[in-house]
Amino acid sequence: MQTKKANKLTVSELFGKLLSQQIFIPIAALLLLAIFNLIADPSFYKITYGINSAGAPVLSGYLMTILDYGSELAILAVGMTLVTAASGGQDISVGATIAIAGSVILRVLCGTNSRPDTLQAPIIVAFLVACVVAMIFGAFNGVLVAYFKIQPMVATLILFTAGRSIAAWINNNELPIISDPVFSYFGGFIPGIPIPTPFFIAAAVVAVAALALKFTNLGLYTQAVGINESSSRLNGLNPAFIKFLSFVILGLCVAVAALIKVSRLSSINYSVIAKDIEMDAILAVALGGNALSGGKFNLTASIMGAYVIQFLTTTLYKFNVQSDALPAYKAVVVIFLVVISSSVVRDYLRNIGSKISKKGVA
Amino acid sequence: MQKKRKTLTDANLLLTITIVVFFLMYIGAILFQGKGFLKPQTFFNILNANAALLILSCGMSVVMITGGIDISVGGVTALVSMCCAVYLDYHNGNVLGAVAIALAIGLAFGIVQGFLVAYLDIQPFIVSLAGMFFARGMTTIVNTNPFNVANEEFVALKNVRIIIPGMGSLNKLGKYVNAYVEIGVIIAILVVIILFCVLKWTRLGRFFYAVGGNSQSALMLGINVKRTKFLSHLLCSLLAGIGGFVYFMHVGSGAASHAMGAEMNAIASSIIGGTMLTGGVGNIIGTFFGVLSLSTIQNIVSSAGLDQAWWTGITIAAMLCLFLVIQSVVMARKKK
Amino acid sequence: MKKLLVLLGIIVLCLLAVGYFGSVTPVENIAGMEDEVPGDGIVVGFSQLGAESDWRTANTESMKSTFSEEKGYEFLFDDAQQKQENQIKAIRNFILQEVDYIVLAPVTETGWDTVLQEAKDAGIPVIIVDRMVDVADNRLFTAWVGSDFELEGKKACEWLHAYTKLKSIPAENIHIVNIQGTIGASAQIGRTASLRRAAKDYGWDLLAEESGEYTQAKAREVMGSFLKQYDNINVVYCENDNEAFGAIEAIENAGKRVGKDIESGEIMIMSFDSTNAGLTDVLEGKIALNIECNPLHGPRVQSIIETLETGGTPDKQAYVEEDMFATDTSVTSITVNGFNYPVTKLTEAVLKERTY
Repeated sequence: MQTKKANKLTVSELFGKLLSQQIFIPIAALLLLAIFNLIADPSFYKITYGINSAGAPVLSGYLMTILDYGSELAILAVGMTLVTAASGGQDISVGATIAIAGSVILRVLCGTNSRPDTLQAPIIVAFLVACVVAMIFGAFNGVLVAYFKIQPMVATLILFTAGRSIAAWINNNELPIISDPVFSYFGGFIPGIPIPTPFFIAAAVVAVAALALKFTNLGLYTQAVGINESSSRLNGLNPAFIKFLSFVILGLCVAVAALIKVSRLSSINYSVIAKDIEMDAILAVALGGNALSGGKFNLTASIMGAYVIQFLTTTLYKFNVQSDALPAYKAVVVIFLVVISSSVVRDYLRNIGSKISKKGVA
Repeated sequence: MQKKRKTLTDANLLLTITIVVFFLMYIGAILFQGKGFLKPQTFFNILNANAALLILSCGMSVVMITGGIDISVGGVTALVSMCCAVYLDYHNGNVLGAVAIALAIGLAFGIVQGFLVAYLDIQPFIVSLAGMFFARGMTTIVNTNPFNVANEEFVALKNVRIIIPGMGSLNKLGKYVNAYVEIGVIIAILVVIILFCVLKWTRLGRFFYAVGGNSQSALMLGINVKRTKFLSHLLCSLLAGIGGFVYFMHVGSGAASHAMGAEMNAIASSIIGGTMLTGGVGNIIGTFFGVLSLSTIQNIVSSAGLDQAWWTGITIAAMLCLFLVIQSVVMARKKK
Repeated sequence: MKKLLVLLGIIVLCLLAVGYFGSVTPVENIAGMEDEVPGDGIVVGFSQLGAESDWRTANTESMKSTFSEEKGYEFLFDDAQQKQENQIKAIRNFILQEVDYIVLAPVTETGWDTVLQEAKDAGIPVIIVDRMVDVADNRLFTAWVGSDFELEGKKACEWLHAYTKLKSIPAENIHIVNIQGTIGASAQIGRTASLRRAAKDYGWDLLAEESGEYTQAKAREVMGSFLKQYDNINVVYCENDNEAFGAIEAIENAGKRVGKDIESGEIMIMSFDSTNAGLTDVLEGKIALNIECNPLHGPRVQSIIETLETGGTPDKQAYVEEDMFATDTSVTSITVNGFNYPVTKLTEAVLKERTY
């Protein structure tokens, strides 16, 4: 019966069904960009195999750039999606906390000397310390949001303001430089592997998140809290704790992103590192079609959203758009997307659509 | 009746705390760093430097009272400065034309953002985020490199000083120097007074509070919720246009990095002033003192010779944190 | 509520009263008191434009260590975070705080007339460091301490000329891109001007110029786009070390090599500032030539202040001495404007001795 019914679906119905799918938005955007690039300049898709200065084989090309630089965003999008779903708000402090976590990593690696010849601690230790610190800062946001009932955007405004100052303070405002080549692997290439490492890190984070959502009730609980806090409380959940938890998880994502960021430079610049990344991360969530007011979420769509943004950024770079002018183009894309996905416009279009089909029947 | 009075006191409590904290801070500054802070001009300099922020914050408060947010104001400020600067220097413009440009940019942003938020029901955060991106990007597209405006008419206007009689002080040479404020301060004070009156005594003002407090019941009361939201965003962006021009008059240059983070300072000022992001609660006088507190802290930090500019960020954040927690506690008490 | 308003009113009145009387009459008393306390030292207010590069940090550090409390100074520091408005605010604050000297490292050249006039009216000497100010009346500031940026640029170009002549590389085969500093900064103007002139004089191919804003991130982006546009770049003229780091990254990411052997397809990096990290790259052969831009302005400024304290008139312009470092020893010295400048061969020992 069911298969028969499925076969009978008309094209327009199929299209309508596709339209209602959440993942449709990022996929459509991606396709649009891909086709645009294909027409404008097919060399966009060229990937060359070469040897970098360290003598390691690397793949380079625009697609690689997207995979490479979209990774931090994808990692952040994972955490940001959870926070958005649970709290109905966004964390605008991720850029600042990346600065903090990055600063912590360098501080642990360098000890008191800002130009060490050898690392003062294993990288894994530095990373773990950064994880703990970032989670503590996440917890700080979480406490304000969950227990003091402050709006997420406002609560995270505190760290947004102070984060970079704290980051500078951790390293006495010095700009440490790590000379150990191993440290640069995380944001570059591992010798022998021609695909950028950040992509693997992002894949690992996504895999862990997917497993956690599959085998625990985290996803379900998060959505329940986001949809209706009081009813989820009546059902025996602890909404405050779930919200708190989502911020701590975001903290962890921030630490991972920070590792990639500082590894890329082998150094840090407190006022510039991960600048405006919070806006891109929120955009990724929005592009993924997730409601920014919380509730249901789709992690895959958010991650897609993150890579779509990087795709857009890289495309614009290719056409020699200045980095400072980039936001203007992004804004146009964002407005276009949110307008077509807004419920008012959708209802309006649906009405027109049904009117036309009615006329056709008559 | 009894109950109503209590809620009134709560909202006023926030305002009182802000004002008291500001005065304590200022008196503390006088006691510990006397020299500079004893001179009224220090206070007027704070006003001069923050007149634009004051205007932006007023607009922000209105939007926040109505339950929205507008993070595009800093971007609009930068765009206004750059457009006016280019117009004045590269197109031989006059000051009146520049004012018109500023207002037009503000209006345009207000209409588009207001429409998207109110009539298409898109989240204000996302709309104004896009607005911010657009404004910042456009600023660089208009002109990449920062430059100082040389237009004589404008420079003359920029250097106009309104003398405050009797508040001057002796400088290091023992010469009496008059205290002054810039034109921007007068505009900002006017904005504060007008908005205060609008919010307190007009229908529109009460609509803002009603929609922000509970848009459902506002709708039941027959208030045009969409129109009210639209107007709040329009007002905010228009004020951003005015604030942008005041900022431009203060700095006298166009640069893409102008007013970076001004939106966050405006939000912080509003919050410190007792405006709640949840909507329905807020006061322009509070915002006024919020801006003063914020800028005084910055001034204290730099006068104290605390060598890291980073300290400013930390102290403001600490203050913000304190006020947020107080607000949250007050609200919790109110609910009980 | 009414009580509250009354209370507030009283506070406001009190404050105004304090301000009013504090401003007009008792100031003399306070000033008098100040005079009776001799141990207070000389108060120096320093408005630094930011902390964007290693060079800047070294510059700030030099000031801080020179005007320390042990040496009898009180040092007020303000970091303007790249905003002229912040610097003007800081100078006005210094004037109100009645500091003895103001040291200014301006972020741009124009727009200083009003505030410097205010300082002059208040009888506070202003010493400009690093970048120059462009004011209608040169008497508005007392002295300027800094580098001769045009000379730095000339040194770099002369070296390139000498080096390529030695290797007999024809001038038209030298394809240069210039990653400029923040547009409008004195260093950018001077270094860019020298390069342009040299390119014209010697017939080099100057492909493109774009600002890297003195930062690593921006320079990497600019260099990345240069590499995509031109495939024959063999010399990159970076107007500071941080830009050089960014350029090196971009070149290596694109799978090309940096070095001095431009005949064998390496891309030569020329840089300015000679910070510790920059010289490390010279030692590793990544940067071919690094012209020093001495950030240690503290002692020079101090000697000017000492001259003023004893009633003397300091020189209006004071240049700091500057070296040049190369990976290669084939060019040992160059001549600019009739003066001979030695090229220092960089070794571990030289690097260790340097303080920044």
